[in-house]
Amino acid sequence: MRKALIWIAFGAALIALPHGLSFSQQEILVFLTINILVVSSYRLLTLTGEWSLAHVVIMGVGAYASAMMTKNLGVYVPVAMLMGGIIAALIAVVLSFPLFRMKGFYFLIGSFAAGEIIRLLWKHFRDPFGGAKGIKGIDPMPDFSIGIYDFDFFEPVSYFYFAGFIVIVCLWILWRIERSPVGLTFHAVHWQDKLAEASGVNLRAYRTLAFAVASGFAGIGGALLAHYIGTINPGSFDLDYMVFVLTWAIVGGTGTFYGPILGCVVLTILNEVVLRELGFEQLRPLIYGAILIASILFLPNGLESIVQKFTKRSAKS
Amino acid sequence: MISKLRAAGLTRRTFLKSTAITAVGASMPSITLAAGEPIKIGFLAPLTGAVAAWGKPGLDGCMIWAERVNAAGGIELEDGKHPVEFVSYDNEYDPAKARTGATKLIREDGVSFIMMLGGDTWPGVQPVADKTGMLFSTLLPSDLSPDSTTLLAPAEVHPIYLVTGVDYLADTFPDAKTVVICAQDDALGLPSVATYLAAFEARGIEVLEEPLLFDPATTDFAPIVTRMLSSNPDIICLDTCYSDYVHPICEQLFQQGYKGKMISATADFYDQMIAKTSKEFMEGFIFQFPDFDDPALSGDNINFEDANGFYEEYAKRHPGQWGAVSWEYASIMDLWKAAAEQAGSADPEAVMEAMKEGGTGKHAFGDAVWWGTELFGIDNALVGDWPVVVIEDGKAVIKGFKSIPDWYDQHGDLLIKHMQAYNQMYDQRG
Repeated sequence: MRKALIWIAFGAALIALPHGLSFSQQEILVFLTINILVVSSYRLLTLTGEWSLAHVVIMGVGAYASAMMTKNLGVYVPVAMLMGGIIAALIAVVLSFPLFRMKGFYFLIGSFAAGEIIRLLWKHFRDPFGGAKGIKGIDPMPDFSIGIYDFDFFEPVSYFYFAGFIVIVCLWILWRIERSPVGLTFHAVHWQDKLAEASGVNLRAYRTLAFAVASGFAGIGGALLAHYIGTINPGSFDLDYMVFVLTWAIVGGTGTFYGPILGCVVLTILNEVVLRELGFEQLRPLIYGAILIASILFLPNGLESIVQKFTKRSAKS
Repeated sequence: MISKLRAAGLTRRTFLKSTAITAVGASMPSITLAAGEPIKIGFLAPLTGAVAAWGKPGLDGCMIWAERVNAAGGIELEDGKHPVEFVSYDNEYDPAKARTGATKLIREDGVSFIMMLGGDTWPGVQPVADKTGMLFSTLLPSDLSPDSTTLLAPAEVHPIYLVTGVDYLADTFPDAKTVVICAQDDALGLPSVATYLAAFEARGIEVLEEPLLFDPATTDFAPIVTRMLSSNPDIICLDTCYSDYVHPICEQLFQQGYKGKMISATADFYDQMIAKTSKEFMEGFIFQFPDFDDPALSGDNINFEDANGFYEEYAKRHPGQWGAVSWEYASIMDLWKAAAEQAGSADPEAVMEAMKEGGTGKHAFGDAVWWGTELFGIDNALVGDWPVVVIEDGKAVIKGFKSIPDWYDQHGDLLIKHMQAYNQMYDQRG
């Protein structure tokens, strides 16, 4: 009962949240919501012990696929978003054949190369990918009404509700996967790979599964982004963005489900709201970098370690 | 009645658009100003990151412009004089952040006009412009299209002005007959490549191989330069490379012993380029953006007020920081101020109407015409003369002004041909 009440209060807070923000903060909230899905899906892959540098490019695969399906084939936007996720997952399966011949650092570099190949393909083939300029005029999510609320998807509040709903459903699925025997096997693949293999676990199949599922959700994130801003180009999914995803995961911590989400929320608010409001707009990269170094030095287990400290204390008392 | 409205151009699309503008407009802050209240101008450009060199110096120039205007009493509208104030937002050259910035500037800060660099960031902002009717400016006319009715390109006619540099090169060095072009593969590089190809073809200069398009993430330019030099060209063309590319490419050209001519859209911070190479190596480097202490900018044909004084003040405050865009945003503000004073209002629609009245305007480098239907599908680019600049004895010197419309009248078909080949015509984009 208490748990249900907490969830209801949390839902109500999420519904009320955008109304307490300024217009630009509402815009940032939309992008933050999408980034939460991207970084959470990235964590699923890290459960198997592999860190990829292609995750943002795979997100772009979902964005391009969804944008092209709506623009060229007239597919209904929500269906195209789902298809974007599926195509991103399928591309990940194809990439897994060469990539999972490698492990650790070699996988990291291999994934970077694979991602760059995809980005170069987008640039090289102006038809159908639009080349360096990418795709513009992507169909927005069609407006609709549910009686008590009219969804106008130009407005960030409406898009936040839509994207927030999708992201919550995706996070719930990711959570269930992690808590399932499959999720436990992902952990085993990371920490006890020899033992798992000796027990009959197909390591490569499980790594591929984690890579494909993570990519599918990243693809949905990319599609959500594409249909909101209406334009994508190869630069939208470059290494800079990937570095942000990595720092959200590292600073937040990947030991818990909420760690990367915490990192994403805290660092985005810091970078996009606090530093801009304080008038440090042009010094943001410098200050952001300094805070990252400080957090790695003084919080080696990420921001999640602070939460764990407090929750342990309250459990003891 | 309906047929009359249709005849006047009211389609389902324009009806829906105007309804949307009305609906969103209802939630917009009013641009009506109280007497003496500052007029806010939005500055939405990259202030950090790889493209910051085409944003930050422009903001610095605008601050000087605002101080000068405010010291002279401000901008005179119907209800009296108003000081001017710039509100900036760093879009990091990212369309999503540009959208957020445009929303903030319009809906929170209540700006009357927004200046942008444009390029990759404009498509992110366009829906906001469509919905709000806000007047925007870009430095890149390649953003213009019939759909972008509230977007103007009043300062820089990139990349069309590049033809003036090639004309100067061909006139001055008739023996230089072969060229190799390199450019970053992006929204700035590609239309430039098409323009240079047209300009070289117009003057009978042979392009030795396909333009070398490199990834914007490139940091090692040695292989690119080696490949360019392998065909032994008379001219190396650096297209519209960012300064982060122009500098290392020139350094590599110097180190690999290149002795021929060089032409580029920009040579931002060329003193640093000379320091990395040599004065002799950079002698004769042709580009398009003058230092404003040039005596040629004190002539009667120049509409930028006290260009030499502006440069002096800029150099005092930001030594070594003068770049291609240092004056451009300020020159757009000259046009905006004149139009607002003529209209007696800061209302975006009234200012735009006043700015385009008569189809002519006072561009920084002389009187110009609103132009662009063939290339951009809309006459929203202010085009006239453009200077050709050459480095002589370590200093940028204007060698003359050349007319862009005159060149286009003779060779426009070539430009359209190459623009089409690179999918850069307004009806091919996206």
